Parts: sequence; C-alpha cells; structure tokens
Amino acid sequence: MNPEPFLQIDRVIHEKGRMAIMSLLAASPELSFTEMRETLSMTDGNLTSHIRTLQEAGYVSIAKTYQNNRPLTTCSLTAAGRKAFVTYIDLLDQIVRQTKPLK
Amino acid sequence: MENDWASANLQTIRTLMERSALYRRALAPIMMVAGFIGLIACALARFAKIETNFAFALFWIATSVVAFVIVLFLVRRQSLQESEPFWSLPTRRVWGSLLPHFFVGLSAGALWLAPGLVPAGTNWLLPPIWMVLYGCGLYAAGFFMKRSIKFFGWSFILCGAALSFCVLSHPHFQSAAMANGMMGLLFGAFHLAFGIYLFFTERKKNEA
Repeated sequence: MNPEPFLQIDRVIHEKGRMAIMSLLAASPELSFTEMRETLSMTDGNLTSHIRTLQEAGYVSIAKTYQNNRPLTTCSLTAAGRKAFVTYIDLLDQIVRQTKPLK
Repeated sequence: MENDWASANLQTIRTLMERSALYRRALAPIMMVAGFIGLIACALARFAKIETNFAFALFWIATSVVAFVIVLFLVRRQSLQESEPFWSLPTRRVWGSLLPHFFVGLSAGALWLAPGLVPAGTNWLLPPIWMVLYGCGLYAAGFFMKRSIKFFGWSFILCGAALSFCVLSHPHFQSAAMANGMMGLLFGAFHLAFGIYLFFTERKKNEA
C-alpha cells in the first residue's frame, strides 16, 4: 500500500469539527456564524475556536457586518481553503480506492 | 480499517454539503398564514360575488400578491431573529425555483384579465391550471427544502390534474362559485393543514 496519501493529509482540516465547517462552507459562498452553529449543533466557544484555527491557516475569512443594527458575522472559504479542501477530498478518495478489497 | 474512516469522512462531507444548501426557515407559520389568507379570500369572494373572468382573475392574483408579500415579511423576520442573512443562497435557490412557475401562472391569469381573449364564464379553468403550476414550483423548490415539500408539491399536481378532469367532464364544477370554492379549499385549507402538520412535526423534532 502506498503510504503517500496518509502522510499528505492536512492536519488542520483532518479534525471532525473543522472538517464539518469546511464542508458547509464549500457548498455555500458564505454562511453566518449562527447558521453554522445550528447546523453543526456546536457551542459558541467550540465553533469560534475551530474557525480561529482555520482562519490562522488562511482557509477561512471572516466578515463582520450589521444587518438592521444587529451584528452579523459571516464566514467564507478563501481560495487557499477551497484548494486545500479539494486536495483533502482527493486524498480521502485515494485512500478509499487503495484500501478497497480486490474482487 | 483505513478504508472505513476515509469512507465515513467522505460521507459526512457529502451530507454536510447537502445540508448547507438546504433552506432552513420555519415553514409552519408561513404555510398557516398562507392558508388563512386563502380561506379568508374564499369567504370574501363568495360574499362579494366575484364571478366574472376579470374579477375572478384580478381578485385571486391580488390575493396571491398579498400572501407573497406577507410570506416575504415572515421570512425576513425569521432571518432577523436568528441573525442570519435574508437573501441567503438557499433562499435564492428556493425563490429561483418558484419564480418561473409563478410567472407562468400570472401570465395564464392575465389571459382571463384581458377582455375577449377567453370565452366568458370560464374562470373555473384557472384553479386547476394554477394548482398544477404551483405544485410544479413547490416540487422544484423541494430540492432545496425539506423532503415533505416535494410531497406537498406532488399533492397539488395530482389534485390539479384530477380537478382538470372534473371541471372538463362535469358541468356541476363549471361555475364561478365552484371556482372560488376550489381556490379556498385547495389553496387555503391545503396550506393550513400542511402548516398544522409541520407545526407539530417540527416541534416534536425539536423536543427529541
């Protein structure tokens, strides 16, 4: 078995919470903090912590705006984040194909 | 073994990406309000004797515009309460799916508004046409909403098809009073019943 895909896996994305955040953002141009929190049933602290990690890696950008005088925080994937996520999915796919039992 | 976690991760990613694109506004109040508007309009139409082609088409198009505006207001209020963007991608997809069918329905209604384009006293043809178009719109929007919306759309399509057969084959159905009744029963009562169903099922899910 080729160990290459295992070694290349992005540790920032390869975590349950962060992978979920990246998945949601990959399917939508932007999502609000509350939308992600409701969809993933995460606590505010947990979600903030994961988003900060993704932001520090340059995968997620955060925009703070106002909607009807209420603060609105939205997140979106950066170009680097989208590329890293596509690579991560490709690697998972390679692993699945490699380890698939031969018929 | 490695295959298991990689497959599971891919499946999780797929599920979350699908969920991210789903419309999440609470539909129960929207459906119930639309149902009440339909029933009130039906009672008004019977009381005010809305019978001519022009009056029938104008009255029900105006009713749908009022319902549309109130529904938009409800959706906006929900998004403000939850600190979420109003014109989100799922919202745009849902309205984008409904819009072509609404436009065709409005165009069909305009045929009955224009004098002399269709024979007088044929407004009973409009409810089944509107019903099928509305059902198609709901079915298309259902791809970005809860699964039950597709079934709701299908129920409109089937009722509209059955109603087409009834109005064309039985003279009993060919009257303005019946047309108003069909609009009230099928657009009003249907929405109200579906709204009540959603109200209880959504609450159950939240309690679980």
